[in-house]
Formats: sequence, C-alpha cells, structure tokens
Amino acid sequence: MRNLFLGVVTAFVLLPMGMLGCFVLGLTEIRSDLKPSTWESVIMGSAVRASVRRRAVGIANAATVNNKTLVAGGKLYVAGCAGCHGELGKPFREDHDHFPPAPQLTYVPTQYSEPELYWIVKHGIRMTAMSAYGPFYSEQQLWELSAFIHQITNLPPDVRVAVLSK
Amino acid sequence: MKNFLGGLLLGAMLVVLAAFVYLKLGLIDIRADTPMPGWVARILYTGIHASVRRSVSHGENPSPDGDDTLIAGGKLYLNDCVGCHGEPGKPPSEFGLTFYPPVPQFPRAGSNYSVSEVFWIAKYGIRRTGMAAQASSYTDQQLWTAAAFITRMRNLPPGVAKAIEQTR
Repeated sequence: MRNLFLGVVTAFVLLPMGMLGCFVLGLTEIRSDLKPSTWESVIMGSAVRASVRRRAVGIANAATVNNKTLVAGGKLYVAGCAGCHGELGKPFREDHDHFPPAPQLTYVPTQYSEPELYWIVKHGIRMTAMSAYGPFYSEQQLWELSAFIHQITNLPPDVRVAVLSK
Repeated sequence: MKNFLGGLLLGAMLVVLAAFVYLKLGLIDIRADTPMPGWVARILYTGIHASVRRSVSHGENPSPDGDDTLIAGGKLYLNDCVGCHGEPGKPPSEFGLTFYPPVPQFPRAGSNYSVSEVFWIAKYGIRRTGMAAQASSYTDQQLWTAAAFITRMRNLPPGVAKAIEQTR
C-alpha cells in the first residue's frame, strides 16, 4: 500500500517535470506554419470554448442588432479583423501562418454568442495570435463587432453591400 | 515493486485525467490582457530559445554584411514589423503589448537571438504566440535583411538610420 502511494506521488512529480523539461530543453516543435495535430486542436479548442463560456456567462447581451449597427460592426471588421479572419466576399483561404490558425469567420460560422464574442475581442485569447482589443475599441464598437461577427455568414444582403461599399 | 509500478501508472492516469477535467471545465484562464507572471515568462522564453537554437541550421547567411543590407532590412521592418514590435525612437507598441505572451519590443529591449535565429523565426513563426510565419509574404533574401537589421537595430552604423528615414 505504501509503495502504491509512493508510485502515485512519483508520477505526479515526474510527469509534469518531464514535460516541462522537454520544453525547456527545446525538444518541442515551435514553428507556427505547420498544422496542429487533430488531438491538439480538439483538446485545446474545447478548453478555449469552455473557458470563454465560463467567463462570459454573466455578461448581459448589450448588442443592438439592426442594419445600422451591423454595418458599423462590418466596417470595423473590414478595417481591423479581415486580415487574419478572412475578407468578406473573397474565396476561402486557409491560414497557414498562425498556430493555431485564425478561424476563417467569413466561411465557418462562429459557435459563440454575442456576449462571448464581445468577451473574446475585448480580452483576447492567451497563447494564440488573438490579442486583446479592449484598449482600442469603445464598448459600443465591441458590441457592434460582436453582432456583426455573429451573423457574418448570414448577413442581410443590403448590410453586406453597405459594408463592402467604400 | 509491483505496487510501486501500479502506483506510477495510476498516478499518470490521474494526472492526465485531472488535466483533461481542468481544461474541459473551462477553469484555465485564457484572457490575453493580464500580465504574464515572471516565472511563466522565464520558462516560456527559455523553451522557445532552446527550440529555435535546435532548429536553426547555422549555414551561410547569404546577405552581404553592409549598409545596404541594413537599409533594406530597416525599410522592411518599418513597413511591416513596427505595428507589433515597436518603432525605433517611439514608445513601445501598445498593440504589441496586448498579446499574450507580449510581443518583444526590439527598439527598447534588443534581441538576444543571432541573425540566423531571427531569420528562422521570421520565416517559420512561433506557435502559440502572435508571431506568424512570414514565408508566404517575403523571400528568404528579404527576411535575411530584416534579421540583420533587427539584431543591429540598437547599434546601427552611422548613416544607416538616416538613409532608412530618408527613403521612407
């Protein structure tokens, strides 16, 4: 019984230390132009979703959705997000430059609600290329953006036209 | 001994299970706009540098040493890197500091990476950071000039900074 306990404790210490050791010695691959493995995408993706859900749960949805706010959000998207997340009206382009790749929002509908999108844009996502935009947008702009992104694959036709017009 | 091995296996399974539950419950903090603890930064930067060192083949640097290389690299840097990495003579990039880990501010902090290492990072990027691979945007030749500039940025030969400024 005592040995069993010792074994458990040893594993508790060795496993994390071993992983840390491998990382510190430079044994982990760090180039960002390779595709994440499926298991990494699945595990880390679901960890991010779970964490966003947990943290955004108390945020009341303050998005006003009408054509005016959608166009305002769309203009912000075109100016600040399209470079990584996909340009409206352009063909799908897989992101090979970031790791994990930036979600191509114009083709793959987001599964986040507006308050969750608001939270992500405001605070960013650690250990990804998604930085925090809280310092750069007003509350109203953040809500306009999240309303737009929420509907980006299913926009009213005249909103789409208005966003794409200069 | 048999019990000890059984315990090892059980412990390993528990660690994996605990990590899985922790992630699945969303307990991990993922917001990028909080400062990174010093010990995390130390581990992270050590591991990244070690991995880059391992990956770089210290072959020839094809761009000639000289002012022209630095000027070409400087122009590229000012066009495309300053947004996150900061502009020489200006305060640190606010945008770069909203990433987690924060983007290194070369004009202020310099870089402790060699030219070949900077080239490698610029070309292939660093995963799980904001550093994207630039291979699809620039030729190797261009990236070598940028690497030369970045490593010499705080110690440029006289005239180079002026020449870069003039050609902007």
